[in-house]
Amino acid sequence: MLRIFHDTKYEFVKHWRWAAGLTIAFILAGLITFGITGGVNYSIEFTGGTLMQVQFKTPPNVADVRATLDQAGITGAEIQQFGTATDYTIRAREEKQVAQQAAGAEGISKEIQSALDKKFGAGAVTVVRTEAVGPKVGSELRSGAAMAMLIASIFTLIYLAIRFDWRFGAAAVLSTVHDILVTFAFIKLLHIEVSLTVVAAILTLLGYSANDTIIIFDRVRENLRKPHKGMTLGQLLDKSINETLPRSIMTHATVLAATVALLILAGEVIRPFAWVMTFGVFVATFSSIYVAGPVLLWIESKYPREEDSATARAARAGNEAAAAAKPSGGRPERLATR
Amino acid sequence: MANLKYRVLLIVALFAASAWALFPRTVVERVKRNGVFVYDTVKRVPLKRGLDLQGGMHLTLEVDESKQAVANKSEALDRALKVVRQRIDEFGVSEPVVQKAGDERIIVELPGLDDPQRAQEVVQNQAFLEFQITDKTQALEKVMSRFDDIAKQQGLAVGTDQKVLGDSAKPTTVTSLLTQKTDTAKKDSTKADTAKAAATTGGDSASKTPAATGGLFSTNVQPGQLPGQYIVPDKAYPAIERALALPAIQAAMPPGKVMRWGVDSLGTATEKFRTLYVLDARPIITGEVLTDARPSTDPVEGNVVQFTLNNEGARRFKTETGKHVKDNMAIVLDQRVVTAPVLNSAIGRNGQITLGGGTLQAAQDLALVLRAGALPVPLKVAEVRQIGASLGQDSINKGVLALGVAVALIIVIMIGYYKFAGVLAVVALIMYLVYTLAMLAGFHAVLTLPGLAGFVLSIGIAVDANVLIFERIREELDHGKSVRLSIDEGFRHALSAIIDTSATTILSGMVLYQYGTGPVRGFAVTLVAGLVASLFTAIFVTRTFFLLWLDRSRGTQTLSI
Repeated sequence: MLRIFHDTKYEFVKHWRWAAGLTIAFILAGLITFGITGGVNYSIEFTGGTLMQVQFKTPPNVADVRATLDQAGITGAEIQQFGTATDYTIRAREEKQVAQQAAGAEGISKEIQSALDKKFGAGAVTVVRTEAVGPKVGSELRSGAAMAMLIASIFTLIYLAIRFDWRFGAAAVLSTVHDILVTFAFIKLLHIEVSLTVVAAILTLLGYSANDTIIIFDRVRENLRKPHKGMTLGQLLDKSINETLPRSIMTHATVLAATVALLILAGEVIRPFAWVMTFGVFVATFSSIYVAGPVLLWIESKYPREEDSATARAARAGNEAAAAAKPSGGRPERLATR
Repeated sequence: MANLKYRVLLIVALFAASAWALFPRTVVERVKRNGVFVYDTVKRVPLKRGLDLQGGMHLTLEVDESKQAVANKSEALDRALKVVRQRIDEFGVSEPVVQKAGDERIIVELPGLDDPQRAQEVVQNQAFLEFQITDKTQALEKVMSRFDDIAKQQGLAVGTDQKVLGDSAKPTTVTSLLTQKTDTAKKDSTKADTAKAAATTGGDSASKTPAATGGLFSTNVQPGQLPGQYIVPDKAYPAIERALALPAIQAAMPPGKVMRWGVDSLGTATEKFRTLYVLDARPIITGEVLTDARPSTDPVEGNVVQFTLNNEGARRFKTETGKHVKDNMAIVLDQRVVTAPVLNSAIGRNGQITLGGGTLQAAQDLALVLRAGALPVPLKVAEVRQIGASLGQDSINKGVLALGVAVALIIVIMIGYYKFAGVLAVVALIMYLVYTLAMLAGFHAVLTLPGLAGFVLSIGIAVDANVLIFERIREELDHGKSVRLSIDEGFRHALSAIIDTSATTILSGMVLYQYGTGPVRGFAVTLVAGLVASLFTAIFVTRTFFLLWLDRSRGTQTLSI
């Protein structure tokens, strides 16, 4: 049997201060970039505006393209190489241009096309893709995406509160909030454009991270039912994480294989999605070990379980006698009926 | 082992059904051949590709309220939806989607479309048709000076000197342009009128440079070759259009007349001109009485649209056209003059619209929008996405490559780590692929690029359930339990974690579906379908494999896992 991380005894929970410091530093870095460059880099579908992907016959001079657009009155367009040397994307989303689109989204793209045709000659520039979104649609989509995240979190909380205990649910949701913050910091630092596809990736990431947390919590729940011989909850958590470690490593490896394949092979359009998901594999691992666990401990210390709070307190104190005397009688059977 | 037999039977039956569902088949479908629709048998794979994968156009339309508010938007949109659908159905795309989104919008999807511009026009044309007699009384000339004054007060002008200088060269161009087409006798007289008008409004200060201060209208608006028709240089078009919209100008308009722009611009390579018509405000008939419209080609007139009126329309049309023989009748579509032919005699039930050199396609499109009826409200484009077919094919190739590589990597990891059990998991994984695709086909899901990415990702996640189970079996074996018992316990213990993780994923998938649009919805469907398939394969299929293996190798003490 080939085995990795078998029967490990790492003490994860002990290092939560380091982990928290690391996470906070990362989020701060994200916030600082946020402060400097300002705002999220929303894609056209959220802000309204026009995106055109064009293919030139010969690699053009970007300054030429810019001058042509400026002349046609499309000022402040972002011109970016996209993949090969002849592929470019042009984004026009200045306020004025977006306002102009309220009258009909397609206007600007026509102007861009005719300006390019005039400058480079008809046929020298092929429009491969056009997206034009009026301002109203964009703002609706934006609130829709935020709504989706909020509702998904609430559902997770409710589900876990029913299946486990509200403490587990709250810990899982708080670690989800952590994931959102860290992911936004990552998106900000890498200057990834937030499109609907990226929103889908973020939601997938949240689900994936919650899965990871649930699998560890499931093990904690199971270990709690067994007689735990005066282990503190922290030790129990460490034990559960170590026991699930081989599974975590394998699953993260297969998912990482899929995301890296997407990242390298699936092309430019899907790359932001693949980046977020690749990052997600690491975030999920990190947050289910270093965020969800410590948060659970913290919640338990604030709000000990009512039914057997004495047991829990005793268990945390490491009072062997009390733990052995009281808990193993009633608790396992009662939990098993759930 | 009757139980085992049924298990195997179920798996095989499901697999066969899935494979059959995914097999390309021939269907009878409406397709376009050389521009004509025919029913034909075509080969088709059940999984439909989204616009981003096959190329095409996505339009979101909403009610345009910039000109006037619409009272009952939802109801108006319902009627508009019918009209748009009918037009699109006749338009010539094999699998169009026309649907209402919320109470505000209509979504139109046209896969594999090669001429987006034309599609947009067909969809958006309001198709409000009017027949109006052009003005013969030179009403515009009479109010020209007042128009100029108002325009000056409002600070409207073509403005810059450079443009005015350019104007001085214009009259000759206009004249030469017109003399090529018609006799000059009448025009000369009207030209004199304009000159006079320009002189009077110009005043004394203008005497030196009449062109510069001649006023917005008198300098730029030249009479055309038809009564009531005028020619405006393209440069002055925006200023004049704005001026005509001013309330003061509207009030000064000659009573009973309206002004409408022509659809086409004419001119030479260097100078372009627009046509402006002065028409009797009261239409002799409108498009409501139209029953049919067909494109056709006339040897003299070129491409035309022949139309048929209903009884009431025909009666009215006959008396009205009878009154106006030798006058010009403008055919006005969406407040733009398509053409203004001379009425040679009274016309009854059947008439035709000449397109003045338009293409056959233009005639087809016009007939199409007339036949489908008018939109109850004007629509504007709120969103347009247009993807070239080659880009779509490119995306598919890359996506499939990524899929292949991901599957290969996962197979290597699983078999490398779990050996024999890994092989079982890989067989289950391949079944997972087939089941998921079949399920997507069953839902009529549209495969989009994010959907494809989600599918690739789901393969990585799909093995998670098996990984959980295998690790559990290993733990049980570590505790010294027998192989059979370890397998049983492994499955049993892993179940609660698998169910909890799946349930939360399905919940977020449902939220995504509810709040997402287009591509994200496709993604959500892929996610949930994949999860269901993975639950089935990981729990049921692998379990059956293990049971089969145990059945075959009774008394085996070791399990390769």
